[in-house]
Amino acid sequence: MKPIFATLTALILSAGMTSAEDKVQIDPPAAGSISPEQGLQAWSRIYEVTSHPRCANCHTGASDRPMWSGPAYGKARVHGMNIRAGESRIGAEFLMCATCHTTKQEDWDNANLTPHAAPRVATSWRLAPVEAHWFGQSSESICAQLRDPALNGDRDVMDLAEHLNHDLILHWAWAPGGGREPAPYSLQAHVDDLLAWGAAGTPCPQD
Amino acid sequence: MKLSVNGTEHEVDVEPDMPLLWVLRDELGITGPKFGCGIAQCGACTVHVDGLAVRSCQLAAVDVEGSDITTIEGLGTPDNLHVVQEVWIAHQVAQCGYCQSGQIMQAVSLLELNPEPTDDDIDAAMSGNLCRCGTYPRIRAAVKAAAAKLNGV
Repeated sequence: MKPIFATLTALILSAGMTSAEDKVQIDPPAAGSISPEQGLQAWSRIYEVTSHPRCANCHTGASDRPMWSGPAYGKARVHGMNIRAGESRIGAEFLMCATCHTTKQEDWDNANLTPHAAPRVATSWRLAPVEAHWFGQSSESICAQLRDPALNGDRDVMDLAEHLNHDLILHWAWAPGGGREPAPYSLQAHVDDLLAWGAAGTPCPQD
Repeated sequence: MKLSVNGTEHEVDVEPDMPLLWVLRDELGITGPKFGCGIAQCGACTVHVDGLAVRSCQLAAVDVEGSDITTIEGLGTPDNLHVVQEVWIAHQVAQCGYCQSGQIMQAVSLLELNPEPTDDDIDAAMSGNLCRCGTYPRIRAAVKAAAAKLNGV
């Protein structure tokens, strides 16, 4: 295998790993201990997170193009530089996301202090899968998507919580640095809401 | 800290968070990679790290310890140019030249990943490298010529 493809393979295989100190507590409430109303309240907060530009900008579905939107941008627009994620979702077919969103050493947390620079984490930067389309989508649509294993990567709620625990890009969303607005609440609060929503039976507004 | 640049091991005494571009230019005197913006918006500082194009202003020295770094100085020599450098000269791509080492490093990386790029592929891969002189049509032509040459056409 050519070294360059070995590097690409390593990038893809290592995507999303995190270190022990970044882990969140996954402590689900007992099934049935959360009422449907409380579950919907939790979902409402989850939707605030998933629809926030810090998260939704890279959950753009089949458009294949990340967005630039949020308080720092004013008007929403497609990411500059003609960026496309491709089937690889890391831009390998066009321009690797990691060309600019470079991969930092895990133990160095000073990487994102410069405003307007390309954010970077200790894993390969990438777009979310096509099915995980959040940008501009309704609460009902994202709710239906997140509780459907066919659309959420074959995950139950515990798997989704573990996904949040392990994916460093998601961790970055709550500590983006450089004057960027973080995702609402906190990573731990988001995981807690997710678990409460699960314990309530994953209710959606359209139910 | 030890850095491998263009096949040579260098011992550098720098802060771990010094950008690679600073290390290359100010500490090692390797001035092919250029400073344009410092925030990954222009591509003038593009180098290869383990064979992939990256903006060297966006990597800290600590991030590349143990990696193989290649700058334009390590791509070819005046007596033995890289194919992309050859076609760049043949097509007289450069105008002021400031962005061109970054353009060439990006083009080489593109051709490693995609040996037969279409115009659309070239535009997608090269759009992060800005050229204030507007040499884009010649860049595209040169990349296609390099692809043909590398493919023996």
